[in-house]
Amino acid sequence: MPLIDALPMRREHWARWRPNRVMLCLVVAMLAALWGLDVVSVAPNRIVESTGYPVWRALGWPGAGLATLLLAVMVGLAARPGRYSYPALLAVSCLLLLLLPFGLILASYWLIAPEMAQARLNIGPAYWTLLFMLSLCLVELRLRMHLARGWMLLILLAVLGAWWLCAAFWLERLALVQEFQARHEAFYRALGEHSALVGITVTVSVVLGIGIAMLIRRFSASQKIAFAVLNFLQTVPSLALFGLLLAPLAWLAARFDWLAALGVKGIGWTPALIALIAYSLLPMVRNTYVALEAVSPATLDAASGMGMRPAQRFWQVRVPLALPILLEGIRITTVQAVGLTAVAALIGAGGLGTFIFQGLGQAAMSMVLLGVLPIIAMALLADTVLGTLAEKLRRGEHASQGERA
Amino acid sequence: MIELHNVSKIFGDALAVDEISFSVPKGKFCALVGTSGCGKSTTLRMINRLTEHSSGDIILDGQAVGAYNPVQLRRRIGYVIQDTGLFPHWNVARNIGTVPRLLKWPASQIRGRVEELMQFLDLPSAEFAHKYPHQLSGGQAQRVGVARALAADPDILLMDEPFGALDPITREKLQSMLAKLQARLHKTVVLVTHDMDEALRLADHLVVMREGKIVQQGSPLALLQKPENGFVDSLLGGLERGLKQASLSRVRAHMTPLGPTLPAQSRIPDTYTLRQALSVMLRDHCERLTVVDKHDVPVGELSLRKLVKEAHAQPGERA
Repeated sequence: MPLIDALPMRREHWARWRPNRVMLCLVVAMLAALWGLDVVSVAPNRIVESTGYPVWRALGWPGAGLATLLLAVMVGLAARPGRYSYPALLAVSCLLLLLLPFGLILASYWLIAPEMAQARLNIGPAYWTLLFMLSLCLVELRLRMHLARGWMLLILLAVLGAWWLCAAFWLERLALVQEFQARHEAFYRALGEHSALVGITVTVSVVLGIGIAMLIRRFSASQKIAFAVLNFLQTVPSLALFGLLLAPLAWLAARFDWLAALGVKGIGWTPALIALIAYSLLPMVRNTYVALEAVSPATLDAASGMGMRPAQRFWQVRVPLALPILLEGIRITTVQAVGLTAVAALIGAGGLGTFIFQGLGQAAMSMVLLGVLPIIAMALLADTVLGTLAEKLRRGEHASQGERA
Repeated sequence: MIELHNVSKIFGDALAVDEISFSVPKGKFCALVGTSGCGKSTTLRMINRLTEHSSGDIILDGQAVGAYNPVQLRRRIGYVIQDTGLFPHWNVARNIGTVPRLLKWPASQIRGRVEELMQFLDLPSAEFAHKYPHQLSGGQAQRVGVARALAADPDILLMDEPFGALDPITREKLQSMLAKLQARLHKTVVLVTHDMDEALRLADHLVVMREGKIVQQGSPLALLQKPENGFVDSLLGGLERGLKQASLSRVRAHMTPLGPTLPAQSRIPDTYTLRQALSVMLRDHCERLTVVDKHDVPVGELSLRKLVKEAHAQPGERA
C-alpha cells in the first residue's frame, strides 16, 4: 500500500486540492519579508547611518496584526480559489497597496519623537519587497481574471494618488519627502525636462520610423542593410554613444554659427536626443514594418479589386489594420526612452537622472529614489495607457480566429 | 459582354495562361473550371486588371481593358473572392457601401442601397448592419461579400471560388441564392470554381481549363454528352455523367400525359430534376411516377422505360 494511503486524509482529497500556486508563493514570501526583514529605518539626521526596526516596533502590535491578518486572508483565498476568490484577492491587494503609506505614517509616529527635528524615516527592505510582490500579485490577478488593461490603469492611478496625498500631508518625516521638499523646484524642472526629452524622442522616432519602414517596404533590397544598421546602433552601449557624439557635435557647433545659436553643443540635449532617437528607431521601424506587412493579402487584394487607388488602399485599409501593432511599437519605444533618458543626465541633458547620479555621488539613497520612483511611475503609466489604447483598437476590429459565430 | 482573344499570361518564364479565347454574352453566366493551378484565377484577374495580360486582347463592351483606367474599371465590376476579403475593421454596412463610397455617392443614397442589398441577401439590417466580419459565420460573411460586389450595381460580376471554403450545406444554400439572384438581375458573370457540380448548376457556358489551356468549352449539356477527352470526362464525374446530365433537366420537360392505365403510387412535383425522379424510382422500387403540380394535382406521368429510350434518341432540353 502506498504510503500516502496510510495518511488519515484520503488520497482523492489531496488530488482535488488545486491552490493558486503563484499567489500562494507570493503571499508567503510577503509574510516572510514582513516578519523577517526591517520594515523601516530611522536616522537622526541626513549623514548618520540609520537603524532598522522590525514590523512590531515600526507599526506597533495593532498595525503588525492587521497587516498579518490581511496577508493571512490572502493565503486562505489563494489556497482554495473559488468563484469569488479572485475578486476578493484583488480587493485585498489593492487595500494593502493603499494602506502601505499609512504604515509609514504610523511608523513615524511610533519611532520619531517630536523633539528630534532632524530625524528621517527611511523605507526598509520589507516594504520594498511588499510593494514589489503586490505588483506581481496584480499582474497574476489580471491574467487570471482576464481584466482589461483599463482596470489596471484605474488601480495604478488610485494608488499613485493615495500615496501622493499621504506624502504631501502626513509624511514630512520620510527622507524621500524631505529630499523632495528641499529641491521641489529642481524636481519639477527635471520632470519637465525628462518628459520633454521623451516626448521629442518618441515623436521624432515615430515619424522617422514610419518613414524608414515605408522606404524599406518599397526597396526590399535595403531591408537587410537597414535592419543591420539599426541592430548595430542598438548594441552600442548608451554611455559610449553619448561620448562618441561629443566630438563631432562640438566640431559642428564650432564650424556653423547657426547650429551653435540653436544650442547645439557637444554636451547637453543635442547628443542626448540624437542617441535616444537612434535607440528608439529599431523597435519603431521593426514594429511598423511588421505591422504593415502583417495585413492579410486577401484583404488588400479585395481592396484593389473594389477599385481603391493605392493611396486609398494604404490609408483606408493597410494603416488602420496595422495600427494595433504600430501602437505596440510606440509603447515599447516610449518605455525604453523613459528609462534611457535617465542616463542622458550624465552628459548634462538634465532630467530625473540628475537626482540619481547626484544621490549616488553623495551616497544619499533617498535622493536616488527621488529620481527612480517617478521614472518607474512614468514608464508604468506610458505602458498602461498605450497598452490600453492598443487593446481597445484590437477589440473593435481584430479578425480573431476562434470567434466565428 | 466579355471577350477574350488569344490571351496569354507569362509569369517570369512560366506560361500561366496559354492563348485562350472565349466570350461571355451580356447577361450570361460563364464558369471557368479546372484543377488548381490551371490558370483559371489568373484569367479572372486579367479581366479586372488585377493581373495584366501579356498578349492577346481582352475586350469589355467593345473596348480593350487596357484602354480603361484600372481603378475606374474595377469600380464597375463586382468582385467576390474566396475568403471574402471583407475589411475586418469596418462593420457590415460600411463593407457593403465600399464601392458607392469610392464613387462618391451621396450618403443617403448609399444608406438606401445598403439597406436594399441586405434585405435582398436575407441579412436583416437591424441584426447585421453593425456587426463586424469576425462576428459572422462563413455563409453570412460570403453573403456580405456578394452584397459588397453588387453595391454599385455593376453589369459584370467576377467570382473567384466564392463558396470554396464553406461547408456543403451552406454552399448549397448560397448557390441557390446566387441562381435566384442571377435569374432576377441578369448580370454578366464569370465564376471560377473547381466544383463541377456548382458549375453545372449555375452556368450557361462552361470553360474547362488545364495547364493554362482551354480543353473544352460549351454548354453544360454539350459537355456532358460529348466530353472531348478523358480529362473532361473525369472532371465531369466519369461514370456519373448520366446522372449529372439528368440533374440538368426538369421532370416537367420529360413527362407524358396521363394515360388510361392506373396512376402510379409514387408522386413527384414537376419542378424537380430528372435525377431526383430517378432517385425516387430507386427508393420506391417502381418504374413509373405520377407528376404533380404545386397544388399536388396530377398533371402527367414519368416512365423509366421512356426516359431511357429518349436519352438515346434526342438531347434533352434544359429547364
